[in-house]
Amino acid sequence: MTFNPLEQRGIPLDRQVRSWRELDVAPIDPDHCDPYTRCRIITMNGIEVEAILFSHQLARHTADPEIKRQLARVRYVEAQQQKVVNWLLPGVSSVLETTIAYEQVAVDLTAWVARMEPDPYLKQAYQFGVLEDFDHLYRYANLYEMIEHRKAESIVDGLTEVMPGRPTRFHHRDPVDNVRDPYAKDATNPLSKLHALTIMSAEQQTMNFYMNTGPTYMEPIARRLYQEIGLIEEEHVTHYESLVDPGETWWEQLVNHEYNECYLYYSFMEQESDPKVRAIWELHLNMELEHLHAACDLMRRHDGRDPAEVLAPELPNVLTFEPNKAYVRELLATQIDLTTLGAGYVREAHERFEAMQARLHGDEAPPSDQVMAEHQDMFDREYRLETEGEHPDPALREK
Amino acid sequence: MATSAPTPHAGDDNATDDDVVSLLMRQHGDIRNLFDEVESATGDERRDAFRRLVRLLAVHETAEEEVVHPFARRNLPGGDQVVDERLAEEREAKEVLASLEEADPDSPDFAERLRALRTAVQEHARAEERYEFTHIRRSGDAGRLAAMARGVKAAEAMAPTRPHPGVESGTANVLLGPLAALMDRTRDAVRSAMGG
Ligand SMILES: [Fe+2]
Ligand SMILES: [Fe+2]
Ligand SMILES: [Fe+2]
Ligand SMILES: [Fe+2]
Ligand SMILES: [Fe+2]
Ligand SMILES: [Fe+2]
Repeated sequence: MTFNPLEQRGIPLDRQVRSWRELDVAPIDPDHCDPYTRCRIITMNGIEVEAILFSHQLARHTADPEIKRQLARVRYVEAQQQKVVNWLLPGVSSVLETTIAYEQVAVDLTAWVARMEPDPYLKQAYQFGVLEDFDHLYRYANLYEMIEHRKAESIVDGLTEVMPGRPTRFHHRDPVDNVRDPYAKDATNPLSKLHALTIMSAEQQTMNFYMNTGPTYMEPIARRLYQEIGLIEEEHVTHYESLVDPGETWWEQLVNHEYNECYLYYSFMEQESDPKVRAIWELHLNMELEHLHAACDLMRRHDGRDPAEVLAPELPNVLTFEPNKAYVRELLATQIDLTTLGAGYVREAHERFEAMQARLHGDEAPPSDQVMAEHQDMFDREYRLETEGEHPDPALREK
Repeated sequence: MATSAPTPHAGDDNATDDDVVSLLMRQHGDIRNLFDEVESATGDERRDAFRRLVRLLAVHETAEEEVVHPFARRNLPGGDQVVDERLAEEREAKEVLASLEEADPDSPDFAERLRALRTAVQEHARAEERYEFTHIRRSGDAGRLAAMARGVKAAEAMAPTRPHPGVESGTANVLLGPLAALMDRTRDAVRSAMGG
C-alpha cells in the first residue's frame, strides 16, 4: 500500500458543503453494530472536534481577514463532517452506554498506538495512560449494570476485557507531574506526531463529553463518578498534549492536523465493516485531501517551507482497531504501580503524590471505590469480563 | 470465569426499590437482555426465552399503564399528549407480540420481525425514560415514588418471569395463551398493592 495524500486530489473546496438531506445520516444499530464501528465513529468525532477548535484558535491569532475567511470556509466543512460523524450514534443509546464505548476507544486506540510507537519515551506515555482508561471502563461498567441492568459485554462484545487496571483513586496526581517532555519536531518520526495528535484529540473529546454529560444523571453515584473520571481526563489531556513539540509553527500544526485527518479516514475506510459508514469515511477522505492542500499552501506562503519536509513520504501503516488483550495484560502485570514524578515515571508514592492524594480524598472513599461498594451491595459480586483467564495481578483477582 | 453471573431481574437484586423510576429503568435493561437471549438461542431454548420475554413485557407494560402513565397524565405539563404517545407505542408492540406468538421462532421471518419489535420497544423505553420518568422523579415526593415502586413489584410477583428449571415444559402452554388473563391478573395485583 502506498498512498501519498500530497499527490492525491479530492473534492474541490467549493463543492464540499452538504444539504440537510445529505447531513441526515441513518444512525448505527446499538444492539447489532460492530463495536469497532462505534469506536471509529467516536474517534473521528474527537478528531473533527479538534480540527474545529484548533482552527478557531488559529483564527483568533490571525490578523489577515483574507486568511480568517479561508479558515472559516474550511472550518464550516469540518463542522459538517463532525455533525455527520457524531450523528451516526443512535439516539436510543444512553449516556452511560456511549461512555463505555468512549473508554473502549481509549483502551484499544491507545494500546495499538503504544504497540506501534517507535519512540521509547512516547511509548511509555501511552503504556502508562492506557492502564488508567482500562480501569475507568471497569468502573463505568459496574455503574452501568446498577443503573440499566446491562453488562458492558453487550457493548464491547468480548473484544476488550473489563477488569481492574491501575485503581482510579491513584490517578489523581499533582498537576505538575502530568506535564511530559515533548518530542523534537525535526528529529522525531512523522508517525509519532500523528500518534500524539490522535490520542490527544480522543482524550480531549472524552474530557469534554464527561464534563457536559456527567450532570445529566440524577443518580448521586453516577454524578460523582463522572466528576472524578472527568478530572482524570483533564490530567490525560495535559499528559498527551505536552508530548507535542510547541516549536511547531501554527501553519505546521495546521498541516499536521489535516494530514492526520487524511491518515485516519484512509485507515478506517480500509477496515470498515459497515458499508454505509465506509462510504462516509471515503467521502470525508476526499474532502480532507483538499483541506490538506490548502493548509500546505498556507504553510509555504507564511513559513516559506515545503510541507513535505515535515511529513512522511507516504501514509504509515493503517491505524487499526483490533483486540489488544495480551498486550494490556502484559502491562497490567508490569506497570500497574507506576506513577509520574516530573516528566518521568517512578514506583514509589512520592511526597507530592501523597499530598495530592490526601488533599483530594481526605478520609473518604472516592466515587470510583464507592461505585464498587454499591455494586457489591446490590449484586453480591462485581462485574468483570475476563475472557483470557484470571487477572494477571494476583492482588487484583476477585475475592 | 469469562463473565460475571447473569444480571438478576429488577426486584431480585438487593436494591431497596424505593424509587419507581430506578426500578423501571432496570426492568428496561432486563427486557433488552431477554431480547439478546432470544436472538442468540435456537429451537426450544429460543421458544422458552421468547415466552419469558413476552411475559416480562406484558407485566412491565401493564404496570406502567396502571402506575406510571396515570401519574404522568395528572402531574406533568403536557402529560396527556406524552402518555397518549406512549400508549400508542405500547398498543403497537402488543399487536406485534401477539402475531409473533404464532410464528415459528426458527424461521427467518421471525428473526426479522423480532428485530423490528426490539427497535420499537427500545425506542419506546428511552422515550419513557426521557419524557416521562425524569419528570416523575422531579414532581413525585419520595413517598409517592416508593408507593409506585410497590405497585410495580406487586406486578412482577404476580407473573414470575425467570426461568424455572424443570418446570418449563409443564407451564409452557399456560404461559402464552392467556396473555390477556395475565395482564388482568397483573392489573388487579397492582391495584390492590397500591390500595386502590
Ligand atoms: Fe475534517
Ligand atoms: Fe478514561
Ligand atoms: Fe483518558
Ligand atoms: Fe480537515
Ligand atoms: Fe411502556
Ligand atoms: Fe417501560
